[in-house]
Formats: sequence, C-alpha cells, structure tokens
Amino acid sequence: MKPFTYSRAASLDESRTATTVAGAALLAGGTSLLDLAKCGVTEPEQVVDITRLDGLDTIQASSEGARFGALARMSRVAAHADVLANFPAVAQSLSLAASAQLRNMATLGGNLMQRTRCGYFRDPRAFPNCNKRNPGSGCAALGGVTRNHAVLGTSEACIASYPGDLATVLVAFDAVVHLGERAVPADDFFLLPGDTPDVEHPIQPGEVITAISIPGSAAAKRSTYLKVRDRQSYEFAAASAAVGLELEADGRTIRDLRVALGGVASKPWRSRAVEAELIGKSLTEEAVCAASWRAVDGAVPHGDNAYKIELAPRVVARAILSLGGLA
Amino acid sequence: MTPLDMPMKHGDAGDGASIGQRLSRHDGKLKITGSADYALERQFEHAAYAVLVPATIGAGRVVSVDTAAALAAGAILVLTPEDDLGLAQATTFTGQRPEGAFLPLPHEIRFDGQSVALVVAESLEAATEAARRIKVTYEAAPVTASLVQTPEDAGTVGEQFNVAWGDAQAAYADAPVKIEADYHTPREYHAAMEPHGLIAKWDGDRLTVWQPSQWVHAMARNYSDWFGIPMEDVRVVSPYVGGGFGSKGFNYGWEALVPAAARRLGRPVKLALSRPQNFNLYGGRASTRQTLKLGATKDGMLQSILLTGASETSTYGVWPEQVGAATPLMYGTPNYRGQQRIVQVNTVTPGALRGPGKAPSAFGIESAMDELAYAVGVDPLEIRLRNQPDHDRMSNKPWSTRRLREALTEGAAAFGWDKRPMAPRSMRDGHQLIGWGVATGTFPVIRNYGEAEIRVTAEGRVEVVSGATDIGQGTYTVLAQTAADAFGVPVDEVSVRLGDSSLPGSPVAGGSKLAGVMTGAVHKAATAAREELIGLALTHPDSPFHGIEANTLELKGGRLTPPRADAPNVTVAELLRAIGRDGLTVRRDTLPEDMQSPEERKRAWTTMTTAQGPTVGDYSQHSWCAHFAEVRVDEDFGTVRVSRIVSAFDCGLLYNPKLVESQWQGGIIMGIGMALFEEGLVDARNGRVVNNNLGDYLVPTNADVPEIQVISVGIPDTNASLLGGKGVGEVGIVGVAPAIANAVFHATGKRVRDLPITLEKLI
Amino acid sequence: MVTPHPNHKPPEHGIHLMTDTIKLDINGKAFTLAAEPRVTLLDALREHLGLTGTKKGCDQGQCGACTVHLDGERVLACLTLAAQAEGKAVTTIEGLAGEDGTLHAVQAAFLEHDAFQCGYCTPGQIMSAVACIREGHAGSDAEIREYMSGNLCRCGAYPHIVAAVRQAAEAVR
Repeated sequence: MKPFTYSRAASLDESRTATTVAGAALLAGGTSLLDLAKCGVTEPEQVVDITRLDGLDTIQASSEGARFGALARMSRVAAHADVLANFPAVAQSLSLAASAQLRNMATLGGNLMQRTRCGYFRDPRAFPNCNKRNPGSGCAALGGVTRNHAVLGTSEACIASYPGDLATVLVAFDAVVHLGERAVPADDFFLLPGDTPDVEHPIQPGEVITAISIPGSAAAKRSTYLKVRDRQSYEFAAASAAVGLELEADGRTIRDLRVALGGVASKPWRSRAVEAELIGKSLTEEAVCAASWRAVDGAVPHGDNAYKIELAPRVVARAILSLGGLA
Repeated sequence: MTPLDMPMKHGDAGDGASIGQRLSRHDGKLKITGSADYALERQFEHAAYAVLVPATIGAGRVVSVDTAAALAAGAILVLTPEDDLGLAQATTFTGQRPEGAFLPLPHEIRFDGQSVALVVAESLEAATEAARRIKVTYEAAPVTASLVQTPEDAGTVGEQFNVAWGDAQAAYADAPVKIEADYHTPREYHAAMEPHGLIAKWDGDRLTVWQPSQWVHAMARNYSDWFGIPMEDVRVVSPYVGGGFGSKGFNYGWEALVPAAARRLGRPVKLALSRPQNFNLYGGRASTRQTLKLGATKDGMLQSILLTGASETSTYGVWPEQVGAATPLMYGTPNYRGQQRIVQVNTVTPGALRGPGKAPSAFGIESAMDELAYAVGVDPLEIRLRNQPDHDRMSNKPWSTRRLREALTEGAAAFGWDKRPMAPRSMRDGHQLIGWGVATGTFPVIRNYGEAEIRVTAEGRVEVVSGATDIGQGTYTVLAQTAADAFGVPVDEVSVRLGDSSLPGSPVAGGSKLAGVMTGAVHKAATAAREELIGLALTHPDSPFHGIEANTLELKGGRLTPPRADAPNVTVAELLRAIGRDGLTVRRDTLPEDMQSPEERKRAWTTMTTAQGPTVGDYSQHSWCAHFAEVRVDEDFGTVRVSRIVSAFDCGLLYNPKLVESQWQGGIIMGIGMALFEEGLVDARNGRVVNNNLGDYLVPTNADVPEIQVISVGIPDTNASLLGGKGVGEVGIVGVAPAIANAVFHATGKRVRDLPITLEKLI
Repeated sequence: MVTPHPNHKPPEHGIHLMTDTIKLDINGKAFTLAAEPRVTLLDALREHLGLTGTKKGCDQGQCGACTVHLDGERVLACLTLAAQAEGKAVTTIEGLAGEDGTLHAVQAAFLEHDAFQCGYCTPGQIMSAVACIREGHAGSDAEIREYMSGNLCRCGAYPHIVAAVRQAAEAVR
C-alpha cells in the first residue's frame, strides 16, 4: 500500500467533504478497501474512517418496511429478530456471506460498494489490461480463466461478475439506497458495464451512502436467499437467487413474485421476465421450471462459465419451489 | 573398565508405559497460548524487511530492471539480475553438486511469478510498496502453460519408471472384459497456513537462518554451499513449523537472496512470502494424466494392467509425479506394464505434496477398478478382495505386513457397506442423490538413519535433543514418549529440543519416515543413557548401590531399584548427587559401522542417498488403507458434499494413536479437497496461476468436513522400524479422491475422471 | 466507498489528520507505537509489539489465522488498520488465559481433543471459537462447523475442533 493519512470523520458532512478530495477514500469497515489497496487496485492517499459516526448503524424492520443505517454491520443485521421475521432473505444473504469475522467488520454501506472478484481486475501487476481499472486498456479476462465471470449484463469491455449477496436481495425487493437527500433505487445503484465498466455506481462527489430502505411486502416476508457454491461455506456464489413469493388466498395462484440472481451477472440481476411469466399462474413445478429459464434470457457464455447458464435457472426454480413448499 | 565399556545389558528395556498411549501433544500448551516461536516470528532490533518482485511473463528474458521508483519509495537495497552475488551451486538431495555459479535472479524467465528482484526496506509496508514500484522490461517468449496444452506424446519417457511383468499387451488383448479410461489430476498446492520465508543474520562469517523447515540439516548444507562457508558456520533454526506437506523440505533459489541481502546490509533481513507467492514460488503437485487399460475375466479377476501416464515439470528442473506409484502394488495381476512421460511446461518446478505419486496414481487405478466392478457386476468391495495379491509382483518379495484385506473388511463393517445397493442412483434424500464409494491406498515404508542425544539433568529430568523437525505430525510428543519408556522416567519428566541444524542429525520430516527413524535413534540413545547411569550406580564408589550383590538395577518411574527389596531405592537425581555428577549426556546414531566417517555422516543427514526404499531387504513394506465415503449430490446443482467417511489403516504400531488419528483425518480432509475443490487454474496465455490465493484456490472449510471415523487394523512391523510403526502421515490422502469419485458415480451414474469434481461436471 | 473526484483539492478544514503515533489497548495493557497509518493491526501486533501469537496466513481476509477480538467481537487483524483499533479493547491469544496461566476452557478443550497439528491456525481458531460460543453459535455440530468456517486449517483438524468447541460450549453453559 502507498503511504496514506488516516483520519476519522467527525461528522457526516466531513465524510461528504472527503469524497470530493482526490485520492481520498472512505473506510466503512475496511474489508474491501484494505484488501483492494493491498492488491494495488486502489491507491488511497487519505483514508477517512467513518465507522465512528453516530447514528448511522440503526436497524429497523417491520412488516411495513426496513431501514438500515449505512454503518450497520452485516452480522448485526443478519441476527436482528425483526429482520429475520420480515425480511428473511436479507438475513440469509448476510449470514451466507464471507465469514463470521468479516461480517462483524463489514457494514452494509461498504458491502454495497464491494467490487468484483475478477482475478484479472485484482491483479494489476500481472494484468495491466482492465477497463475497470484503466479505462480503454482492454479486458484481460476475455480469453483467460473465466469460470466465475458473468454471463448476463456483460459488455465487450468487461465480463466481471458482481459478487455480493445482499444487493441481490435488495434489487429483488425494490430497496432504495439513500445518499443523504437523494434516494436511488437499488437496481439503478448498480450500473451495467457497457463502455464504462469503471463507473459502477451513480454516486457523485459529495455523496455518501447513509441508509438502505426496503419497502415491506408479503413477498419480502416470505422470501429466501439460495446460494450455490463449490464449498459449503466462505465462498462467493457460483449462482444465487433471492426470491420472494406471495400467493393468493387460494394458496396456489401466484400474486407476487420477486426474483433476482447473484453470481452470474455484471450487477445484481433482477429477473422480471421470470416474475412476469409466473404472476397470476398456478404454482406448479412444471410452470416454475419452465419460467425459470427466462432468468438467463440473453445470457452469453465466456469460456469456462457456460455452466452458469444451466445452473442459474435451477437455482431460481428451487428457491421458488421451496418457498411454495414444493421442494 | 568404564561403565560404557561394560558389555552386559542392564535390566529390561523400557516398560512401555508411554508408547502407544493417547497422550496430548507435548508442544500443545505452547501452541494454544500463542507462545510457540515459529521461525519467522523471531524478533530483531534492527531487522530490515525484504519483498520479492515477481515476473509477469511466463517465458522470456529480463532486459532491464528500473529501480528508481522503488528507491524513491523507501528501498534501501534492491537486488536484480545484474547483481553478482558470488554464490556457488549447492548439492542437491541426490548428493550431486552441479558446477559453477548459482544465480538466484537469472535473466532467463521460465515461469510466471519467478523472482526478478529483491527489495529491502526499513519496514514491511515500505518494502511491499517499493517492490510494487519496480519496473521490469522483458523480452517475452512463447509459453507452454500446462500439461493440458501438450499432446499425448509430449515429453520424454522416464525409463526409471518403467515397470513390467508378464505380457500385459497380449493378456489385455485376450481378456474377456476390458476397461480403458483416461484420468487427469490438476495442479494442486500445499497451502500450508504458515507462509514460506526466512530471516537471515550474519555474525562475522557465521550465518544463522530462521526458516520454516522440514529438514534443517540439508538446508544448512545448502546455505554453506551457496555462500562457500563451512557447514559448521551455518545454523538453520526451525523450532515449530506451520505446516509443510512436502513444501518445506528443500531450499528454493530465491531463499539465497535473503542472506545475500543481510550480508550486504550488515543487519538481519526478513522475508515472508505473500500468499500469492506461496502459489508461484515453489511447486505444488504436478498435473498428471494417465490412460489405464484393465483386462479381466468375467468374474472380475484381473489379467492385465496397462498404464501410460504423464506429469508436468518445469523447463529447468525434473520432478516426476509418478502416476504409477501405487498402480502395480494394489492388485494381483499376472501381467503388468507401466510407463510414464515427463513433460516440460512453463511452471515453477513441481514438488512433493502429501502422498506424492501415490495420490494421483490411486485416483487412476481405484477409479478404474470401480469401473471394472460395474462392467462385470461385482460389488466394488468384493472385486478388491478378490484381487488382493499374495506378494509384491514388482519386487518378487513377500509383504512384510499387508493388512489391507482387514482394512477393507473392518472398514466395510463399520461403514455398513453390506446395505449398499449396487445400482447407481438408487439412494436419495429429497433433491440429494446419495452414493457410497470405496477405494484403497498405500504409501511405502522408507527407512533411513538418525541421531539423537539424551541429556539427563541434575534434577533427574531427561532432555531429548535432535535436529529433527515437528511440522505438526508430533515429533516432540513421540520422541518424549520413546525416551520416557527407554530411559525409565514418566513422560512429563522429559523435554524435547528440536529444529536446529546444530543439533544431532536427522532425515527430512517427509515421506512418513521421521517417527520410525527418530524413535529408533532416541530409543538407542536413551537406552544407552540408562545403561550408563545404571553402570555408574553399580560401580561408582559413592553410589548407594556400590557393592550390592547385583549386576543390574531397574530404572522405572524415575527411580532406581535393585532386585532385592531391602536394598536402597533412589531417584535419578539422588544418585547423580551422591556420585557428584551434574548430569549425563549420551549421543547415539543408527548409522552402520561403515558410515561413521564425517563425510558419510554429512551425506546421511543432508541428502536422500541413504534412504532405503520399501523393498530394500527381504520384504516389501508399505502402509495400507481403505476409505469408505458417502456423498450427497444435489441433483440439480451438481454440488457434492461428503457426508460420512470411514477409513481403516494398516500403519503398524501406533506410537500415539491420538496424534495418529489426527494425521489420518488430516490426510483424508486434504483428500476431500483434492476430490472436490483443489485446482490451480492456469491462464493459457502466460502460465500464471490466477487463483493464487485462499479465496480462489479452495481448500476444505470446517463446514465441508463430516464425521470421520478412523480405524487401526495394523500390527507391529519390526521390519519397518525398531518399534514396529509404519508411516502414517502420507497414506491418509491416498485413495480418498477415488473413494469420493466412486461414491459420486454411485450417487449419480456419472463417472468423473478429471479432478476436481466440480459442479459443472455433474449438471 | 467513493470514487475520488480528480478535480477537487484537499479541504482546508474538517479532516482531522492523525499523527503516526497509535495508542492501543491490548489484553488490558496500554501500548503506544510509532507506526504509519498504513500499518495493519496484524503487523502492529507481530512486527511492532512482538505479540506473534496472532498469525499471518494470507493477509487478504481469506484464512482467519489473524482472528482477534475487538471490543469482544471477532475480527480479522489483517484487514483492520492499527489506527482503527484505537480506543477499543483488543484481545489476542496471549490475553486469553488467566493471569495465573489457567487455560481458557476453549484452550483446554483444544489440547484435550488434539484440535490442531502444526498449530499455526490455532490461535485464530481459538479466538474464533471463544467468540462463536459467546455469540450463541455453538448450538449444534452443524452450527459450529458453519460458524467456524472462517478459519481454515490445512492440517485438517476440523473434526477435533468441532469436538473441542462443543465441549467448551457445554462447559461455559
């Protein structure tokens, strides 16, 4: 790591000011920032520790909705009884992420800013070509080892996958990311790589994530996060699905369905096609399995990751069916 | 006549109170309190920190190294290919010493990650950042990244690995049942939790190196060769080792840079590799491929085995991963032919990783036997029992002990194998397909020589002193047990000093031989010390036993007692006080008479040329095991979870079953990693291992490991070692991967012949 | 959390730059070290303060060997700046046993069950296990396995680690 100064923001305004400073980076837990600084991906000159700001770690959840302060730690949210009761997929996505130690350190705001695990992105010395790091330099992952790269939402400039778990749930349930006054829908908070994979979020200098809110819904209350990976634990997803389900009073007809995919796309991937296909239909294994293929509409394999196109719909189907008591 | 010259044997050998007991780890308290001082944790006032700069091309030449930015960022010394370090080539473990100068930073690049510079600074942070600022200009050359990029006939045949008896081709052609299949294993890594590295410190022309090491004596010789100083002036210290698994047995070239830098700077220099460098700067298990042809009768009796295999090595060193290491030993085929090719690719030279050769070899033959079982419709356990060989066909010698049949039957009973339906896909639990698989494994008994010192203190305590190392297998503990029994004191009266090349000689802690060798040496030294003490007790004029009518005494529980009850009964400390001695020191080795010269002793302690293979002597000697695995495969996702393992082992006498069981389980767990997760992913364009970290190179976590039951079916084998133990550390991994692969076949009906068995191979 | 904007100059006020002196409370003792802000808690312990019981396995948050407690919660010292720990109670393996050397129940259980071999991951395993029990995540073998999965052990002591944590959890209960 390059030498940097370390300071603690005394107020939210100070942290906002810091974001306007060239070379400054906010430390909101540090599990990503220090990791990437050690890799040489980021080279902060000033590290501004915002973890001691008061009032940004609140956790509130009810059937009406949830609101999490940006500095709420992953482990606290995961264990919160009201979150478990009203947003089980949120709690599950957090519990299945990283390790107990990292969940104690990482904050929700920091988690949203987590960057890709693309091995080429993370290795600047060996692979200088990366459009995410150096716009216009090319993509070293193309033609390389791509087992964990994205099949959805990629571009010629970048095939990196978004690795996070929580954000997958957030986009499924129409969460909102609060940047102080400004509120951005979670789905819009993550940008497609397009020609500018270096720009990952619509966040502006002077803006800091302050909170995340999720509207309450029957689907959120009956939700699950299913994460499939090689190892049983402590690994990013090969494919994951955040799903919420609401049935009509008949107990069969799907009134509301939320589906988002993780581990397979360049951003947390809402699958509205699957939702549309199934809403209003009767919940049957046949219908769900058929509709789940829509989850990979437009998917493009790159070398080693073709399996994700096969896997993702199965994860979606299993998650829906398990919520419906059919799996 | 001195007591030492007295020919008689005094009393009985040790009472055996300790060996074979389930004692807790002798060094355990230090390790659970954080006070065990691992080599890289030695603290120095003025140490400087070194960081290696890796090459970012897979082949070619270093044209120039620009150090300006590094120096500006705080580097106090940068060593580059332009530096003449004045080093000489070192003797290898084969005892050969190449001519000429040794260049740890050659201009020629043979693999990605090869060191191109060493940067030293006042702090670790400064050195790390300065190293990042080194700019290297290369001339790149085409890369052969890995074995999978090479054609079947690539490389050269390793003639020394040719094994043949009978007429395997003809027998195969005539066999009514034929199996032919290709098996592949990828590059695998040690991933010991403690990184490699060293601290070097010069005192005048004397060099001390603190370094995690499986073999301090060989490393001391290596440094003495490199730096042209007498071996007596080099000391390698390695009191505790945070895992080795074969990777810390020999020096690697980059290690020479640290003493070189320390000498230039006149201060201690410390280097600890980063985790990615622990994948790039020394070799793991080489990738292998093998084609197996089995010819058999319709009831599954083997008629012929044909093996053609290949493993990758580097372009500058030869490390054969012997895919035929287990194949000819497992079954009683009347006809056999095996051949192996060695293929050069742009990698760091591979090395020994737990169960070298045997592990990939067993994956081939034990998968193929399962395929044969299904081809002939014979239970996989039964076909193995039917084909057990009555002797070693390769050496034409009888087995010393081979209780593999017992391992198979007792393991099967504990597992409940008799309830196994033969048909694949016949057991399920919801979405999970359940399968049961069996496979066997072996590892040779390797014998060698050792040396140990026993120091009896004025307080009557016993200190065992040896240069052998403990990498977690339990050297401290079993040597304390051995000395306690042989000398006749309680084990908690024994302390053990290890891991220092200035201490008595030892072979490498590798190849599952150290316990057998060193218990022999310690037993000999402790017995001699005991005899010397008893001799003194009987002959010294000031001894309370002087003049009693006895020619022997019993030394037990730290007390000396004569045969007659009315005679005195004293502690060792009391005797020493009475005769005016402040202690006793006895050093013994197990070298034969004709190997006592200084040259021969150096050869024994610093090369592998004195090691004796499994068929030296009248017998063929090996450890054996049988693994029974249950897997649960998600039928939609292809994810495999191992839900139960029972393994039965024949490793002879167990010096300490508690520690042995830990090692067996550890081998099995590494085998789970080999079966399901572990694979160095190589970028075909530059040969870089891109998953060079513990987040992407997956080793099993706690949640990946089920209940594991281990069973000992061994009996003491005194051909293998003085006390009757055979090796335990390596054999545990051998056969695990095929047991799991066979279970996956049973669960799913899919035969996966290339490891690891990742989900995309099953969906 | 943000991409710095290149056109802005450092502010003249508002940011409190820290000195290179870091004050730490480790195992109940006060330490002052002169170290750059980029020094991690792990390197501060091992390279500056001689507290080498906390291990460096990967330095990337991928192995758990550097697990320590910060205000009683388990964290990774390799991804924590030493400066971040100022004003918080740091507990390392050296501070776990009683002043008289009495082993913590988890340490005693690790010894009894042979829950380690090389010992290098062990301090992290033990610190993690103490927290795992305190968090209430040691209710079953399956839960212990999951909540101890952030601590890799290459020697493969996992079954014995589970047994040790189970026993210590019962002893604490």
